Amino acid sequence: MIRLAWRNVWRNGRRSLINVASMGFGLAAIMFGQSMMRSLQYQLIEKATGSFTGHVRIQRRDVDEPKFPDKFMTDPEPAGRLLENDPRVLVWGRRIQITGLISAPKMSLGALICAVEPEKERRITNMATYIKEGTYLSDGAKGVVMGRKIANRLDVRLGEKVVLMAQAADGSMGAEVFRVVGIHETGSESFDGQMVWIPLKAMQELLGRPGQVNQLAAKLKDIDQAAAVAADLDAKLGPGNVGALSWRSIDKEIIGIQAFQDGLLTIVLGVVFAIVALGILNTQLMSLFERVREFGVLMAIGARPRWVVRLLMVESALLGLVGTALGIVLGALLIDHFGRYGLALPVGEAFKYFLPFPSVIFLRPSWGMHAFACATVFVVTLLATLPPALRAGRLKPAEALRHV
Amino acid sequence: MSKPAHAHHEHAHGAVPLVEVRGVEKIYPGGAKVAAVRGVDLKVERGEFTALAGPSGSGKSTLLNLIGTLDRATKGEILHDGRNVTRLDADALADFRLGALGFVFQSYNLIPVLTALENVEYPLILRGAGASERSAAALDALKRVGLEAHAHRRPDLLSGGQQQRVAVARAIVHRPALVLADEPTANLDSKTGASLLDLMEELNREHGVTFLFSSHDPAVLSRARRVVHLQDGELHGEEVRAR
Repeated sequence: MIRLAWRNVWRNGRRSLINVASMGFGLAAIMFGQSMMRSLQYQLIEKATGSFTGHVRIQRRDVDEPKFPDKFMTDPEPAGRLLENDPRVLVWGRRIQITGLISAPKMSLGALICAVEPEKERRITNMATYIKEGTYLSDGAKGVVMGRKIANRLDVRLGEKVVLMAQAADGSMGAEVFRVVGIHETGSESFDGQMVWIPLKAMQELLGRPGQVNQLAAKLKDIDQAAAVAADLDAKLGPGNVGALSWRSIDKEIIGIQAFQDGLLTIVLGVVFAIVALGILNTQLMSLFERVREFGVLMAIGARPRWVVRLLMVESALLGLVGTALGIVLGALLIDHFGRYGLALPVGEAFKYFLPFPSVIFLRPSWGMHAFACATVFVVTLLATLPPALRAGRLKPAEALRHV
Repeated sequence: MSKPAHAHHEHAHGAVPLVEVRGVEKIYPGGAKVAAVRGVDLKVERGEFTALAGPSGSGKSTLLNLIGTLDRATKGEILHDGRNVTRLDADALADFRLGALGFVFQSYNLIPVLTALENVEYPLILRGAGASERSAAALDALKRVGLEAHAHRRPDLLSGGQQQRVAVARAIVHRPALVLADEPTANLDSKTGASLLDLMEELNREHGVTFLFSSHDPAVLSRARRVVHLQDGELHGEEVRAR
């Protein structure tokens, strides 16, 4: 049967080629779309967690906004030990993030002051890689790193002094002088225009909160473990006012973007699947019409109706296999090309306001999704063949033989 | 000399006839509801070389289709070797045809994507025969129709006469009790048609294959040993010739 089916597939070579091409190009387009969305999402997550959030955080549960925890942990060390002892954690560090005021001789500005443990933070986030002038922070020194835009607004340059002010533990305004040691350019308005970075110890002194932090941020060996690690840590932390969160609970806007993109992708894929299905249906109906007499002959010489149905389904499966194989090859080539050379996407500009986000997306395959698309194209091919195949199975041999 | 069809009851071995048609009528649905075949009684014995004769529209093809179980009678019964096949379902009919019948069609109706050998093998494939068994049987059948040298050619590379010979080989490869041939020579020139009839006669004489075929061509009908006449869907007498 397979031999007959295979030859039937190619008896009208041009039509089969058009069919296979429509399946192949359709699947390649689907794979490209999937890869583009996933790569965009992956890069978004990578940039969000890699420049600010971290993979897992431990912080107070009663904060207003998990992204910017405004309440302090008075004794973060037990939680720190949990992170230290978890083999899934690559590196973790203590942080304070607080809004304050930065003053230069000519101007004062509100800013998000991020106090970090410099050596650890280098490995948790990639902010050190954006330094364009000077150096990153170092422990002990009262240095400040800031973005180019905030530096320009304050009209300060490398080596000059600024004063940071924030509300201390006792309610008074703490103030300290810092020297500008580094200026970064991330391309993001939020990072370059609103954030400054100082060493943790200096911040604790400024606030009169020795040993206190408002978050512990961890980078994991595998980001996909984030939810599991956060859940385990949260369970170990118990029902107190300190809990663990994965990046998904912090960067909720990314999850929202992901859901939106996935929804959009589903609609587009649905349309592509429908186009492929209609193409196959059309071809199989034409093929059925052309071969009615032949089905009559097959039935006359003893083929059962379901055998004829099976023949058409096998033909369709073979067509589907060739089309799917072509789609996989074309899709993989496209993804590989844009994985090597990148794909310029205007959407990068939109994200840039919030994050250091590149305008070029480097595609990577997402085989789980691609496998689903391949299986769907294949199943859609079979489903589209089912109505004409069943119709062929219902033919009466004598009528079919009379068909001209 | 003509005589009524129902008078033909010379059962060679006193056994049940190979085919028995009892009061069969066929009305096609829709339209004027004119009976294509009506009130037909007919018996065909093993080893016959019988023709259904009649002008176009006389019901020859309809009767052949009914006997071949390709179509269902509106009324009446058809028995093959004593078995009533009138009300079998589509699967059972397919199985019956596969085991007991062979078909030769006016326009050859070979499967264009298969070689001559593969076309002949097809009934055996449907029967689930092994590759070597069916290949040997198909080659043997092609040999019997004189086409073993063309076994690996596709139908489009064969002449009309050769294609019809392949169709005959396909019809006999599984050694059916009865081969039904609807106007088998209609698309062939007279010389090729005569050659095909020689082959059918030879298969009938030397291999005992029973043939029931239709034609309106006097030259073809002259080769049959029994000719059953149809007119307006009814039997209109028959002639039996001595061997």
